[in-house]
Amino acid sequence: MSRKNKINTTNSEMKNYDFELRPEDIGLLQLSDSFFPTGMYTMSNGLEAIFYGNKKSIANPMDLLNLLKVYIENQIGPADCTALGAAYEQIVKNNLPKLIEVDNIIFSMKLVEEIRNASSRSGTQLLRCVGSFVTDHLIMNGYLKAISAKKATGVFPVALAVSAHSLGIPRNKAALIMLYGFTVSMVGAALRLGVLQHFDGQMIIHQLRNTLVSTIKSNIDRPLTGIWQFAPGIDLIQISHEKMLSKMFIT
Amino acid sequence: MSSKRIPRVGVGGPVGSGKTMLIEQVVPLLAAKGYNIGIISNDVVSKEDAERMRKNLATERGLMPEDLVIGLATGGCPHTAVREDPSMNLSVVEEMETKYGDLDLIIIESGGDNITTTFSPALADYFIYIIDVTGGDKYPRKRGLGIETCDMLVINKIDIASIVGADLSIMERDAKIVRGDKPYVFVNSKKGQGVEEVANHITKYVLFDQPPRAITPRANQ
Repeated sequence: MSRKNKINTTNSEMKNYDFELRPEDIGLLQLSDSFFPTGMYTMSNGLEAIFYGNKKSIANPMDLLNLLKVYIENQIGPADCTALGAAYEQIVKNNLPKLIEVDNIIFSMKLVEEIRNASSRSGTQLLRCVGSFVTDHLIMNGYLKAISAKKATGVFPVALAVSAHSLGIPRNKAALIMLYGFTVSMVGAALRLGVLQHFDGQMIIHQLRNTLVSTIKSNIDRPLTGIWQFAPGIDLIQISHEKMLSKMFIT
Repeated sequence: MSSKRIPRVGVGGPVGSGKTMLIEQVVPLLAAKGYNIGIISNDVVSKEDAERMRKNLATERGLMPEDLVIGLATGGCPHTAVREDPSMNLSVVEEMETKYGDLDLIIIESGGDNITTTFSPALADYFIYIIDVTGGDKYPRKRGLGIETCDMLVINKIDIASIVGADLSIMERDAKIVRGDKPYVFVNSKKGQGVEEVANHITKYVLFDQPPRAITPRANQ
């Protein structure tokens, strides 16, 4: 085999490992980067209360992994992920009133005031940031106006759907950004609380890959009428965290 | 988004340097001139500072409505909350601007942090960095972004300088070397010594000696 043929064969083989790069991929990386300013690092979703209340319940990385599965499969997945899917659908249909309806529904499902407020603040800042460089997205502009007029709350799953659409990021990958971001923020909180060491944190993210993907697949197409969440133990932990006098995290 | 931007002063500094007490001293001086002020207090592990200021400044002295003192937890990242990702602070600022459009000033207290703390220009228009003498008279000389770049350096607890062996003349000399022409002021926040100069700087360089925007009914009066 000549040297030229050898190079061609190698290039051909490598095509199986290369997917076409798109500018939208940068948007996906940008929105999923913990450097992106959404303030999510200020939240532990009640993990801090577990840490102080019953340290033995998260004594090792597997405990945290299992706890995160409960959050993802019973709270973030069927509620936030479904809301994101429904919101994205309304964005595609250019239906702002229906988008606002999704906003109000998922906001009302967040039982803990601090979490409701933090989700809205985080989502609104996400929109403001993306809106500073994507200025011609009609639904985003309308949604921002609705937030200013207090008709919408800017709650995070809906804000992320709008932001992702404006950057050309597909719906299921927008959901991936949300679930991945949630996972990273929880692992980050656990690291700062001293529950984990840094390799454990990365191991947990790796171990959750299938859970994240399957949660998206089973929730993103769910009709809004089927939205649900059921994690009463976590609700109670979050409520108790909200009342803690001394804490490092917003609930 | 709110219709008008209210001037904002950021107050940063190490844990225990006297950020909260400085604000507690400065606010009454500005309120006496008729200015209406909101406070956002970022705390590292509690909302104690916010609750203290709410009690002292709002509940007991009626200098502002109680809901104009807001505490924020920072997830263990106090510098991030005021610099790299000030999202939560900006949201609270916008909420204040929407609800109290006639405010003259918002003071944002950082959680206690290290000497590299700075404020995002998106969050604060004027940055006060406060240190105290108990860290030793080497503090200004050690530099750090906070000490070097702040609009005003406040050196607190001068009343105990001799007790902790801190030479104020060394701190003054080094502050001039490190900061050039930018101002510094020695204070004893506990007694209010030197604090008027801080308030005057805010009036002149943040509020530009403008009269208060509007006289609103004060809470609890």
